[in-house]
Amino acid sequence: MKFVTYRLQKAIGRFFFGLYCSISYIFLLSPMVVVIGTSLNGPTENVEASFTFPPDSFSLYWYTQIPEGQIDALLLSFVLATVASLCGCLLGVPAALGLVRSNVPGKALISAIFRAPLQIPAIVTGIAFLQLFYWIGDLTGFYWQGSIIGLALGHIFIATPYVVGTVTAILQRFDTRLEEAAVIHGASPRRAFFRVTLPVIMPGVYAGALYAFMVSFSDVPVAIFLSSPGFVTYPVEIFFALENDFEPSLMASATLVIIICLLLLLLVQKVIGLDALLKVGGSRGVG
Amino acid sequence: MFKSVKNAMAGIFITLFLSSSALAAGQFDGVTLLVGTWGGLWKDNQVENIVSKFEAEGGKVEFVTGSPAANFAKIVAARGQAPFDVVEILAAQVKDYHELDVLHPLDLSLIPNTEFLSESRYNEWLVGSWETQEVICYHKDKFAEEGIPVPTTYRDLVHPKLAGRIQFPDINSGGGLTGLAGVTFAEGGDETNIEPGLNLVKEMNVLKFWARGGETMAQFESGDIIASVVHAGWCLRTKKLAGQNVTTVHPRINDELVGVASEGWFGVMKNSKNAEAAQWYINQFISADYQLKMAIKTGLVPVNQSVFEAMAEDPLVAEMIVLDPEKVANQLRVDYSKVIIPDWTDQWNRAIAQ
Amino acid sequence: MWVRWWILLIPPLIVGFTLVAASQFVFLRASFFEDLGLGRVGDELVIENYVQFLTDGFYLKILWVTVKTSALAALSTLILGFPVAYLIARMRSSWSMILLAGIVVSTFITIVIKVYGLIVIFSANGLFNQTMLAIGLFDKPFSVFGNETGVVIGLMHFTLGFGVLLLYSIIQTIPKSLESAAQIHGANRWRVYYRIIFPLSLPGVTAMLLMVFNMCMGAFTSAALLGGGLVFTLPVMIQRIVMMDIKYSMGATIAAVLLVSVIIINLLSIYLLRRLRAAHLVVV
Repeated sequence: MKFVTYRLQKAIGRFFFGLYCSISYIFLLSPMVVVIGTSLNGPTENVEASFTFPPDSFSLYWYTQIPEGQIDALLLSFVLATVASLCGCLLGVPAALGLVRSNVPGKALISAIFRAPLQIPAIVTGIAFLQLFYWIGDLTGFYWQGSIIGLALGHIFIATPYVVGTVTAILQRFDTRLEEAAVIHGASPRRAFFRVTLPVIMPGVYAGALYAFMVSFSDVPVAIFLSSPGFVTYPVEIFFALENDFEPSLMASATLVIIICLLLLLLVQKVIGLDALLKVGGSRGVG
Repeated sequence: MFKSVKNAMAGIFITLFLSSSALAAGQFDGVTLLVGTWGGLWKDNQVENIVSKFEAEGGKVEFVTGSPAANFAKIVAARGQAPFDVVEILAAQVKDYHELDVLHPLDLSLIPNTEFLSESRYNEWLVGSWETQEVICYHKDKFAEEGIPVPTTYRDLVHPKLAGRIQFPDINSGGGLTGLAGVTFAEGGDETNIEPGLNLVKEMNVLKFWARGGETMAQFESGDIIASVVHAGWCLRTKKLAGQNVTTVHPRINDELVGVASEGWFGVMKNSKNAEAAQWYINQFISADYQLKMAIKTGLVPVNQSVFEAMAEDPLVAEMIVLDPEKVANQLRVDYSKVIIPDWTDQWNRAIAQ
Repeated sequence: MWVRWWILLIPPLIVGFTLVAASQFVFLRASFFEDLGLGRVGDELVIENYVQFLTDGFYLKILWVTVKTSALAALSTLILGFPVAYLIARMRSSWSMILLAGIVVSTFITIVIKVYGLIVIFSANGLFNQTMLAIGLFDKPFSVFGNETGVVIGLMHFTLGFGVLLLYSIIQTIPKSLESAAQIHGANRWRVYYRIIFPLSLPGVTAMLLMVFNMCMGAFTSAALLGGGLVFTLPVMIQRIVMMDIKYSMGATIAAVLLVSVIIINLLSIYLLRRLRAAHLVVV
C-alpha cells in the first residue's frame, strides 16, 4: 500500500513538473509560433492588414510583399554578423590562448577588460560608440556612425567576449600533456599546436562564433545609435516598421529570420552538436 | 479664368521645355537626389508618381526614410553634412532648422506650382507640402454597440467605457506636439501654459501613446482600442486598408475654433549639390496631379488648392476631411515660434510617466 | 610550453583596451559638458548634468523603475527557467536535444520579432484574452501595453532562453549521483531540491541572475515597444533624449548613471554572497 502511494506521489509530482515545464515552453515559444502563423494569412477583401492568429487562410501572399528595405536590412545584418563573428574569433581565440596558457602578471585585470562589454549595458555601449565616432569625426572629418566600420566596431565589441568565453572554457579542460607528447615525439611546437590543440578547441571556436553571430544579428540598442539612412540592420528596421504601415509582410520577413536561425542551428548540430555548444559554457561569456 | 489660362500656358511651356530637353539629354543626367521622407505608402506614392518622371530625366532618387524628427537628428549627428538634398520638415521643427542654419534659399521661379498655394505656405526657405487635420478617430459600430456618445470635444474622451481603450500621440511622435496643443487650447491653456492639456491627457486613461501612426491602424484591428487621437489620414487608412468601420470627429476647441490643423514643409539642404533637382522635386510634389493622388490615397490635405473640388468626389475623403475653406480657416494652428519644445517635452515626460 | 603565449595576448588586448577605454572615456567626458540642445555642448567641464539627474525625483523614479523591472524579470526568468533547465540537463533521451533546440532558437531570435508576436497574442481580440474571457478568469482583456507587467513580460522573452542555457550549464556541474544518494537515504524530491540542488547551484544561480539583470538594465526594445510611452526606463529615456530631443550630454549623463548603478549593484551582490559564504550560511 505504502508502495502504491509512493508511486502515485511520484506520478503526480512528475505530472506537475511536466505541466510547469510545458507552460514555460509555451510562454517562450508562442510569440514565434504566432509570428509564423500570422505571416500565412492571405489578403482578404478590403482587409489588407490582417493579423489574425490562427490564420484565416493559408497563403504566401505576404512573402511577396516584403518591402525592399527589410530585405536590404536583412542582408546588411547578415554581412555585419559575419564580420563581427569573424573578427570576434580573430581577437577572441588568441586572447583566450594567451589568458589560459601564459603567466603574465595581472591576468585578472586583463580578463576583466575582455569581459567588460558584458557588464556594460548595451544601450550605454551604443551611445558611447556614437560619442566616440562624433569625437573622431570632429578630429579627422570622417564620421564612422552609419558606416560598416562603425557598426562593425560596435558589434565586435559586444560579440568578442563570447568567443573568449567559449575558447577559455575548453582550454581550461584541455590536457597540455597531449601537446607535450606530440612535441616529444618530434613535432614542432607549431605543428603540435595546429595538429593537436586547434582541433580540440575548434568546437569552442565554432560555439563562440555562433554566439557572436547571434549577438550581432539580434542587437537593437547598439545598432539603433550607429545605423544611418540606407544603412539599417534588420532588427532596427523592423523596430521602426510601425512608423509606416503595419502590414503582415513584417511577419513574413520575421519568419524568414526564424528560418535562417533554424538552418544555422541545424548546421551547428551537424558540425559540432548542440550539446557541445553548451558544454563549452559559451553562454556564460568569460565569467 | 485668367489663372487657368496662365496655367495652361505654363503647362504647355513646361511640356515643350521638357520634351526638347529630353530629346537632347535628360535634364538631370547623372544626378542622384537624396530625399528625406517617411517610408511605406507615403514613399511608394512618390516612387510611383514623381520618381518615374525624375528618372525619365536621367536622374535617380534615393530615399532616406524616417520620421522628420529622426531625419533632423541625422542632420545634427552629421554636423550639418546632411545625408539628403531635400527633406520633409514639420511646422514645429522650422525654428530648429533656421537655428542650425542648414537650409538653402529657394529660387521660387524653379517651383512655379507655388502659385496654387496660399501665400502663407511658401517663402524663400520652405515650401508647404501637405496639411493634416488632427481628429478623434472612433469606431462607429463599437460606440453604437456600447452606447458611448459620439465625442465632440477632447474632454468627451474621458469616459468610463473608454478607459484603457484609447490612444493619444506620444510627444515624440509626428502628431505629438499638435495633439498636445489641441487639448491644451481646448482646455483653456496656450503655448506657454500646457498644464491644462496635460491634466486632460492624464484624465483620459489611454491604453498607450502611439509613437508611429501605424499603431493606430494595428490596434483598431486587434480590438485594443476603439478611439484614437490621430490625423485624419490614419483614420482613412484604418477604414480603407484595415476594414474597420471608423470615422472622424473634428473636435471643438473653443467658441471659434473647430478642429486642429498641422503643416508639413519641404526644405532644401544648404550643402546640397543638387539644389536645382531638389526644387524640381518639390515642384512635382505640390503639383495638382500628385497632391490629388496623395490626398485620396493617404488622407492628407493638399496644399495645392486647385484640387479641393476633385478631392470632394472621393466619398471617404469627403466623409473624414473638412474641405470647406471657411471651416479650414477655423481650425487651430499653433504658432510654434512661441513654443519652447524641450520644455513641452520635459513637462510631458514628467506628467505622463507612471 | 616553449611558446611565448603572452605574445598572443597583445593584439586583442590592444584592440579590446582601446575600444573599452576610448568609448567609455569619450562618452563619460561628454557627460561633463553643459547641454545647449540641438547637439551642441558648452566649452567647460561641469557637473551640472549629474546634479540635475540626482536631485530630480523624476529621473530617480525612472532609475527605480528600471531596477525594479530588471530585477523582476531576472527573478521570473529564474523561476520559470530553472525547472526547464533541470529537465533538459537530467533527461536521458533524444527529446532533450529537441527541447534544447527550442531554447536555443528562442535565444537567437531578435526580441523585436518576439515583441510583435506578443502584441498579437495579447491583443484584445487575440487568442489569450479571448480564452481568458471565455473561461471567465478575466473580466476585461489584459493588455501588455503601457504597464510594468507588460514590460517585464517583454524583458523575460529577451532573457528566458538565455537564462535556461546558463542554468543548464550550472545544473550539469552538479553530479546526479548526489541526488540519487540522497533519495536512497529516504529524502523526498522536494528535500533533494531544497538541500542539495539549491545550495549547490546557488553561486551559479547568482551569476545567472546578475547576468540577466545586467541584460535587462541595458535592454531597450521591450520597454520602448510595450511601455507605450507610459513606462519609462533609463534605456528608453536615453534613446528619447539622444534621438528625439538631441541632447547628447544629458543622454551621456543618464547612460553614465545607468552604468554606475549596474556596477554598484553587481559589486554589492557579489559582496553579499561572499559574506553569506563566509558565515557558512551557504555551502560551497
